[in-house]
Amino acid sequence: MKIRVERDGLADAVAWVARSLPSRPPVPVLGGVLLDAGSPDSEGEALTISGFDYEVSATVGVPATIADGGRTLVSGRLLADITKALPNQPVEIAVDGARVSITCGSARFSLPTMPVEDYPQLPPMPPHAGELTGEVFGQAVAQVAIAAGRDDTLPMLTGVRVEISGETLTLVATDRFRLAMREFTWKPSGDVEDAAVLVPARTLADAAKSLGTAGKTVELALSSSDGLLGLSGTGRRTTTRLLDAEFPRYRQLLPTEQTSNAIIEVSPLVEAIKRVSLVAERGTQVRLEFTGGGLKLSAGGDDEGSAEEELPVQFDGEPVTIAFNPGYLQDGLGALHTDRAELSFTTPNRPALIKPVDENGEVVAGYLYLLMPVRLPG
Amino acid sequence: MTVVWSQVVGQAEAVEVLTKAANAAAMIVRGEQAAAGGMTHAWLFTGPPGSGRSVAARAFAAALQCDSGTGCGECSGCRTTMAGTHADVRLVVPEGLSISVAEMRALVQTAARRPTNGRWQVVIIEDADRLTEGAANALLKAVEEPPERTVFLLCAPSDHPDDVSVTIRSRCRGVSLRIPPAKAIAEVLVERDSVDPDTAQWAASVCGGHVGRARRLATDEAARERRAAVLRIPLGLRRPGDVFTLADELVKAAETEASEQSESRDEVEREALKTALGAGGTGKGTASATRGSAGALKELERRQKSRATRTQRDTLDLALVDLAGFYRDVLVTNSGSDAALNHPDHANDARTAAASWSPESTLRRLEAVLACREALELNVKPRIAVEAMVTTLYYG
Repeated sequence: MKIRVERDGLADAVAWVARSLPSRPPVPVLGGVLLDAGSPDSEGEALTISGFDYEVSATVGVPATIADGGRTLVSGRLLADITKALPNQPVEIAVDGARVSITCGSARFSLPTMPVEDYPQLPPMPPHAGELTGEVFGQAVAQVAIAAGRDDTLPMLTGVRVEISGETLTLVATDRFRLAMREFTWKPSGDVEDAAVLVPARTLADAAKSLGTAGKTVELALSSSDGLLGLSGTGRRTTTRLLDAEFPRYRQLLPTEQTSNAIIEVSPLVEAIKRVSLVAERGTQVRLEFTGGGLKLSAGGDDEGSAEEELPVQFDGEPVTIAFNPGYLQDGLGALHTDRAELSFTTPNRPALIKPVDENGEVVAGYLYLLMPVRLPG
Repeated sequence: MTVVWSQVVGQAEAVEVLTKAANAAAMIVRGEQAAAGGMTHAWLFTGPPGSGRSVAARAFAAALQCDSGTGCGECSGCRTTMAGTHADVRLVVPEGLSISVAEMRALVQTAARRPTNGRWQVVIIEDADRLTEGAANALLKAVEEPPERTVFLLCAPSDHPDDVSVTIRSRCRGVSLRIPPAKAIAEVLVERDSVDPDTAQWAASVCGGHVGRARRLATDEAARERRAAVLRIPLGLRRPGDVFTLADELVKAAETEASEQSESRDEVEREALKTALGAGGTGKGTASATRGSAGALKELERRQKSRATRTQRDTLDLALVDLAGFYRDVLVTNSGSDAALNHPDHANDARTAAASWSPESTLRRLEAVLACREALELNVKPRIAVEAMVTTLYYG
């Protein structure tokens, strides 16, 4: 292999790929990045740089002049350090036996290679399904992923369900105690049928964060029959493995009626929850008492510390007393990204709904956070 | 027989079952209707040490990942599976003495993933007998109802409840491997390791059906020497003082063998990991690339150390099995039976011993060796257990 590339493109590409490499590779080859020049898969004269950790693969294409094609595997960390430090001049990369030499201006480097034939096959990109803006996608994933479970023994709850149905894209996650759902419109390519897949929440959140920069477009690639979700944007492509598990049938859990609802300022409520829950032993519960006159938060009991705080609230319907896990409640309020929230209830032992409210006092469609209450004492 | 299966020595029946399953699996991948009972989602490979349980499991995994569905050994699916780097094959090779719950919980997560290439997600647990009770329970649900394209391959010495819990056993399809015949072992040594036929014949006849040990005996002079030293013990015990010298020799031989085995392997692994973490570059500023990698290397060293403990125990156990085999030969000679001897090359010694010991005392010696193996399993300090054993060997 013998190629010539621009320094900036190379350094950015290597840095991005190397960031997704495991810091403690389970097998040594996974600590490497694969440099592939002039393979039949890549378009035209380009160098592709890839990394893979069995879970997520990352690939970037960089324009290059190829004198001699080939594949080689070198330490991602070392290559990232070297490319970062190179002067701004064309870079020549050449494989010489078991070593790779990098020349850039007067700087010369030599790196050991790793056995490229032991490197796992990179997963192929699923069919292109559609696109949306990086900002919207990044925010939607963050809003939903907070509700995903962290308990490894229940794989189906550690994922985010991604549903495509025509122009609507739905993201849902639940850990049995809460459920977050975001629905929005996007631009489907029209080539892929409606599909629903389950993506590990942590890896989806990471991928969305690294691709979802402002002003960029993110392309989604998936189909029900594949084992992968592909995300790509600005020349960067990642694939994430899917969970092979049945997601709970969540639509029937969403309450259809409500007996009361409250509209409240988010940040004073969050502050108050933080203060009151200090006395709730191990964050067990805070009680919320809604009446026409306002909201009373309380926590703790007679034989331990107790705290109370009152907040103004715009409340309609039957007065209600309900208790929640303060951590879960804060997660939901924090994911709304609006100044005000609508909370709606049926009874103290049925789930409550939290939705964002805009400046005009209207509920913003598209996001909801369903939260199971905690049993009231006595 | 295709390339990957040729590594499974002398197991024609098992290979036939597995090949059929791999064919059925390939049909499922192509979306065709496979015959019922062809492919199964959980397998338990059982067989005596050295019969090639994990080799069989890996070969099966390779056949499942193979492009042609047969285990050609050439395509990248086969190659990366055999090298242990395939993205859809997760290997659990316990390097310590047990497999922890935490490890199995993480594995359940992996098992829930869909395969990246549309074939199978394979999980291999070598030495499933080392699962702790909690670890086995963590695995139960996943083994019972794995996702559609996930296959569990468990390996254990036997399906006895002592080795594999009944609950796991009942959820797996069994493949039992037999002790490979000496002829098959000799053939493999000649073909694969290019050992000369005479040495191969000899190594196969004395290895007790352990393929790896046969290869070691055939290719390593030091290993032959150590085996000879172990077999000198029974007739070498003349004075009470010999007890300690010989016990010491036995323990030392096991220790040297273990450390030799580990050292060569450890060094290769350390180098590979160092290269992966950025060592070995030349040029300005490349030295700093390895910063922060000390943790990963420490972790590797910790794993290697725990593996060394295990290797040491295993080699000592192997020496004791050799010793037990000799006393069995003495009993066989005593009874005048024409059953095959464990150590045909020491038949003269066995005759000498049979002439001078009563069968009862030989039996007591045999019992002592077996008791010593059990004591080692219960974490008795090797030197003490071995000295106690050699004392009994002396008095009979």
